[in-house]
Amino acid sequence: MRHGFKFQDSEYDVGLSRSADGYRLHHDGQQWPFTLQPSEDGGWILGSRAAGAQVLDHLSVAVDGDDVHIHLDGQTYTLRFEHALERLAQLNEAGAADAIRATMPGSLISLAVASGDSVKKGQTLLVMESMKMETTIVAPRDGIIAEVLVDAGQTFDKDAVLLALEPQDSDAEASA
Amino acid sequence: MNTQDWPFDTVLVANRGEIAVRILRSIHAAGLRGVVVYHAADRLSPAVAAADVAVEISGETPVAAYLDGAQIIQAACESGAGAIHPGYGFLSENAPFARAVAEAGLIFVGPTPEQIELMGDKVRARAFVEKAGFPVAPSAIEDDDPATFVERAREVPFPILIKPAAGGGGKGMRVVRDPADLEGEIERARSEGQRYFGDGRLYVERYIENPRHIEVQILGNSHGNVVHLFERECSVQRRFQKIIEETPSPALTPEIRSKICETAAGIARSAGYVNAGTVEFIYGEGGEFYFLETNTRLQVEHPVTEQITGVDLALQQLCIAAGEPLPFSQDDITSQGHSIEFRIYAEDAAAGFTPTTGPVLQWTPAQGEGVRMDSGIAQGQAVTAAFDPMLAKLIVTGADREQACARADKALRELVLLGCKTNTSFLRQVLNHPAFVRGDVHTGFLDAHPELAQEPELDTLSLNKLLAVAAAMTRPMRDVADAVPTMHAAMGEWRN
Repeated sequence: MRHGFKFQDSEYDVGLSRSADGYRLHHDGQQWPFTLQPSEDGGWILGSRAAGAQVLDHLSVAVDGDDVHIHLDGQTYTLRFEHALERLAQLNEAGAADAIRATMPGSLISLAVASGDSVKKGQTLLVMESMKMETTIVAPRDGIIAEVLVDAGQTFDKDAVLLALEPQDSDAEASA
Repeated sequence: MNTQDWPFDTVLVANRGEIAVRILRSIHAAGLRGVVVYHAADRLSPAVAAADVAVEISGETPVAAYLDGAQIIQAACESGAGAIHPGYGFLSENAPFARAVAEAGLIFVGPTPEQIELMGDKVRARAFVEKAGFPVAPSAIEDDDPATFVERAREVPFPILIKPAAGGGGKGMRVVRDPADLEGEIERARSEGQRYFGDGRLYVERYIENPRHIEVQILGNSHGNVVHLFERECSVQRRFQKIIEETPSPALTPEIRSKICETAAGIARSAGYVNAGTVEFIYGEGGEFYFLETNTRLQVEHPVTEQITGVDLALQQLCIAAGEPLPFSQDDITSQGHSIEFRIYAEDAAAGFTPTTGPVLQWTPAQGEGVRMDSGIAQGQAVTAAFDPMLAKLIVTGADREQACARADKALRELVLLGCKTNTSFLRQVLNHPAFVRGDVHTGFLDAHPELAQEPELDTLSLNKLLAVAAAMTRPMRDVADAVPTMHAAMGEWRN
């Protein structure tokens, strides 16, 4: 699971990473490169490519807490940021999951597991890179991968939730 | 008029929002001092900033403060104001307030209390207008003589509308097109009236198909002079409230225009009307029009009249209140160009026009040739549910209607309010609807086109743009992306 935005009654999973001259939006399995720079009148210039041509959009943006208000092409939109941690908390109301967090800011080199996999304590979950060093993250205990919140190449902050681990049917057995 | 000739040197504005700002502008144009009363919720408003003196008033609710006549009159006396301009809404058509202002030795900028009482009461006003020989919709009232009601109803030109005498909100109303159906429909309407209102009494009036709302601006002074300043068409309404108004009306021929304007001036003259007022008519497709009601105040939509006549109506109100003769005769008043007003509301059109609230994070009014914005909001303020949701008015003027519409589309695209949802994109949808473009609208137009209020579909490209901007502007996401630059990004930074 990643960061997301709530917009017009829908939720969108979204990632953001740096590109050569700007950023890349990760959304719906696609990467969409763009640039965003302040304009002289206090607005913003969004640069993107459409049909092979460079497109510049002038827009106004205001951020108020988790709300991002955008005026684009004569229309006004409000998107509400949903932090990955909060989304995870909502997802696991019982609190039965463990969050596998990044120990430092970095990016994901490779992922060794997928959502739904059973893992044993000490098993390699992923390899991340930080400060030009590779770090292997292993399972802290036995469990099932409930959610994968990062893609290969994606960057993240310290303490960002990378994977969600849930106990192996222990709850089901206890309640049975 | 020189400043020393005014019978007052200070005018208090008993209102808030855009109209308080707008009236202060004319007060200052006359070289007078402007005082405004304000509730604490409006402390940061442009009206308070524009006034020479701002006096805080209080009330159980913010609205109650602006309705507290005694407190406002006291504020006027203490701030040295010699006149009170009520704006629209609040105390503007309140005869006891107008009387109390006079009793306090102050001048009420508006008609006399007696005129407010006569013209503000729909039934009395209608009877007065009919007696004075002006057109009211043909009707038959059961209570006048129950025994002859059906006969009298049959004499009203068909189609007719049967209404419960105790009714409201459209309940129990029946349209009858064929006289043969009259008696059956009367019985049905009676039982509906009985069911809804516990009252089976009825009246019928001529039914106007697809009616337009046409109103005429008038000015009268204490010397008995009355002039009209042409008509405004206000047919685009949602929930019986005007949202787009324009002048001239695209529906009127020059002959009907002069007839309807002369009728309005005649009604005002008969009433000895003093100050600015509006006579409203219902206008049928066949060119027939009937008196609806009179508004004894400056209207929300007055700016379109100002734009095409060049007359500052609020300034004329002050001059009339000061006892001055009108500086022009009817022949001096000409109409040039076309002007349209759009009311900017804090509301969600797609959610049934429900009011919205929020902080005003950014407010960038529209600018450009022919664009006027009367606004009562400022960045840093909040839009709350305490007041009417109308935030501002966009008034766009062009040499003709086509030019005014083109300028309006550009202005509606460019004005920015971030933090609180508004109806601007809905207004653009209406503006670009083929029927509006043709000027072919009636008061049921928006009800007949609910699709205009829907959120437009978003294509993938636009969605990507929004998500990209939102992600890049959200601190936790940007920090993560920036924390570990990719090799390419790092190289890019070295180049810098």
